Amino acid sequence: MGARRDHQTATDPPVTTLQLLINGLALGAAYALVALGFVLVLNATSAVNFAQGDLVMAGGLLAVALAPLIPLPGIALLPVVLVAMAALGLVLALAAYLPLRRSPPVAVFISTIAVGIILQNGASVLFGPEPRAAPPLLSGGTVDLGGLVVAEQSLAIIAVAGLLIAGQQWLFARTQLGRRLRATAQDPEMARACGVPVTAMILVTFALGTAYAGAAGLLLANRYFVTPTAGGDLILKAYIAVTIGGWGSVPGAVVGALLIALFEVGVSSVLSYPVALGLLYAALLVILLARPQGLFGEAARRRA
Amino acid sequence: MRRALKFAPTLTLPRWAGEGIGVAVLAAYALLYASPYGLRVLTVAGVYALAAIGFQIVFGLGGALSLAHGAFFGVGAYATGILGSQLGWTFAATFPLSILAPFLLALLVGLPVLRLESHYFALATLGIAQVVLLLAVNSPGLTGGANGLPGVPGVLLFGWAVPRGLPLAAVVWGFVAAGGALAWSLARGRWGRALTLVRDDPLAAGTLGLDVGRLRLGAFALSAVYAGAAGALSVHTQRVVSPEVLEFPVMVSVLAIAVVGGRGRVAGAVLGAVLLVHLPEWFRFLERSYLIVYGAALLATIVLAPEGLTGLLDRLFPPRKRVLPVAKAPPAVAIEGGPVLLVEGLRKSFGGVRAVDEVSLTLEAGTITGLIGPNGSGKTTVINLISGLERPDAGRILVAGRDLAGKRPDRIARAGIARTFQAVSLPEGATVLEAVAAARLERDRGVAAAEAHALWALERLGAADLALRPCADLPAALRRRVELARALARQPAVLLLDEPAAGLTDAEKAELAGHLRAIAAAGTALLVVEHDMGFLLPLAGHVLCLDQGRTLYDGPPAGVRSDAAVVAAYLGEDAP
Repeated sequence: MGARRDHQTATDPPVTTLQLLINGLALGAAYALVALGFVLVLNATSAVNFAQGDLVMAGGLLAVALAPLIPLPGIALLPVVLVAMAALGLVLALAAYLPLRRSPPVAVFISTIAVGIILQNGASVLFGPEPRAAPPLLSGGTVDLGGLVVAEQSLAIIAVAGLLIAGQQWLFARTQLGRRLRATAQDPEMARACGVPVTAMILVTFALGTAYAGAAGLLLANRYFVTPTAGGDLILKAYIAVTIGGWGSVPGAVVGALLIALFEVGVSSVLSYPVALGLLYAALLVILLARPQGLFGEAARRRA
Repeated sequence: MRRALKFAPTLTLPRWAGEGIGVAVLAAYALLYASPYGLRVLTVAGVYALAAIGFQIVFGLGGALSLAHGAFFGVGAYATGILGSQLGWTFAATFPLSILAPFLLALLVGLPVLRLESHYFALATLGIAQVVLLLAVNSPGLTGGANGLPGVPGVLLFGWAVPRGLPLAAVVWGFVAAGGALAWSLARGRWGRALTLVRDDPLAAGTLGLDVGRLRLGAFALSAVYAGAAGALSVHTQRVVSPEVLEFPVMVSVLAIAVVGGRGRVAGAVLGAVLLVHLPEWFRFLERSYLIVYGAALLATIVLAPEGLTGLLDRLFPPRKRVLPVAKAPPAVAIEGGPVLLVEGLRKSFGGVRAVDEVSLTLEAGTITGLIGPNGSGKTTVINLISGLERPDAGRILVAGRDLAGKRPDRIARAGIARTFQAVSLPEGATVLEAVAAARLERDRGVAAAEAHALWALERLGAADLALRPCADLPAALRRRVELARALARQPAVLLLDEPAAGLTDAEKAELAGHLRAIAAAGTALLVVEHDMGFLLPLAGHVLCLDQGRTLYDGPPAGVRSDAAVVAAYLGEDAP
């Protein structure tokens, strides 16, 4: 299950290491958005949002559906995707999280699996199982950077994802809303006692996390295509990114996502995508065994 | 358990009425009504029922959300597919191997991943499932790749090639019946009870002598056996094997069946499978996207009726009140006189802070030792170190001449050390009798004996009347009493109590003191952590006072109040 990479064909010019690096960074920037949304919800609710991968897929297919209606470059779709996905995030929180906030964590895990199933199969009813591509963010051409020919899309992905991540950092660090969101993530009981509307903050977090998943879908769906079943691999990658970065660490999740993407692009170019994916999962198991606290050391959380 | 037959004034259905009616309806449908297509759907329902019964063991009883269950199903399916279609082996050889392969895989991957916290475990098992799928799709030489392998033979039972239709449905449902009976008896027995405690409170389970890792691994491996058997039967039904058997919909279906039917129950697995496998037939317009219905059913169940359909049925037809067993004293454990626990030079640091620093103590049989000190002085850490919940950095913990320092909690518990917790934790879903009987699961031959001995422990503390009450309903003081009974039921040589009098009224404290004296008089050595000096000093024969992890005072209780260092520590002055 999952979208397959568009493989290098024989007619393409040889890819240099630097070009691979830029491709890897672009992929990593999109993964970082997915992982960021996942970890924000995790911190605010201590719930694992298993639907995060399917939300990426939904954002990608939304962009595919919007493209004929808005005949502009893909970047113009971004605000629409962000708003629509934020609304979907609110629905997700109302249907699958809030009724279960007093239940054991496994209940939310299952309810978000259920939402993922509904999204995945709803998408396959609406769009069919074939891979679809969203329009490129700008023109889809290449840029010549002093002799290095780079896909414009890669640079655009890095720029858009970078701006969105910076926006989240600014929101959390500099605004009153951000302070409340952070307070909710750190200690909901204490935040409530201090007059922070915790439920509203959780809803905002879900909206934000889902909007970022949708944005990642738009960014990924041009070069890597999108299929209704793409979510399974994406949630695993978000989860691996968060595990590598240290469970609950926001910068760790971003760094973890970049590492995963570089690994994936690098190994794919030498061997193949399935091998890269297999090695990635194997690496995950090794990390879980050897360093359950993540590569950058966050509090270890094992079963007793 | 006694089976007392009483004629109640109201009409009560016999114990097995629900299950009996269900089986009769299913059999009547299959024999009299079902079309060939209907029989095929019923066969598939049987396959999923078998897979879901296995999932109930690891997820329902063990509480571990294994997303590798679909992979085990697929491994069983491929084992049958490859051996049957490529090598021409028959059912008698392929079926056992289809069970063995996922079993071995589960043992291999279970050792590392079962230690992980719940969400880590779920996602790690999903990673395993994805790796298996990748391998199957990308090894066309072995698995036929994305196209799979056709030409898998049907079931051959003792020379009889089972034809499709009613015979195959009967064979599959025969496996469901056998597998269901086995799972049901395991769930009701010692093993199932122990597994449930591991799910609800792994920490307490360890201190009650239960090997948490081994129980979890056993549940995981057994669940893989069921999944493998179901996978093998599914391939015999389809006659082809393709990567479909490894894809997420299989896992999703099994999860939905278990949750909708009712977590942890065999009847739930069967009911859920029959219902959910037939659902797409009623939602034909969705065609292959029937999984939308599964998703919706799963979401609705987890939000509206987390106990599932069997839970709803239980609420409509509440099970009859059970009868108390007859209390029975467990076989006496000889406790020798003299020192039973010797702790020497115990040390433990947390991130540079010396929580316990060179603490030594000796507990004599039949005595009560008090362990006091200001908050954060290391008292609870000492108890955690002795009971094995924390590993000491240095020091020896000698019981009967054996050094137990750094051993697992269950090993230490089996050496005769029992404990209670400062924050009482009892499994919310269990009755008091079940909670206390958990202490005997490791020792007694069966649940009945464990409950009889548990009732004895409750009687010793004057709490037998609580036996059938749910733990969740008890007030704090009674919860402490039940927890003490649970520790007592282990007949420990050493009993470690962490603030047993916290939150009790004066009358309750006096009663507790009486019970503790009686326990000591029977030979057990007690170590009591307590803040209430008025309670502790008259009770203890010996007192240790800790401050910042170090022993400040070690002597008779009479000297505590006049000791300058102790007074200074309590009043917050600089220790001399």
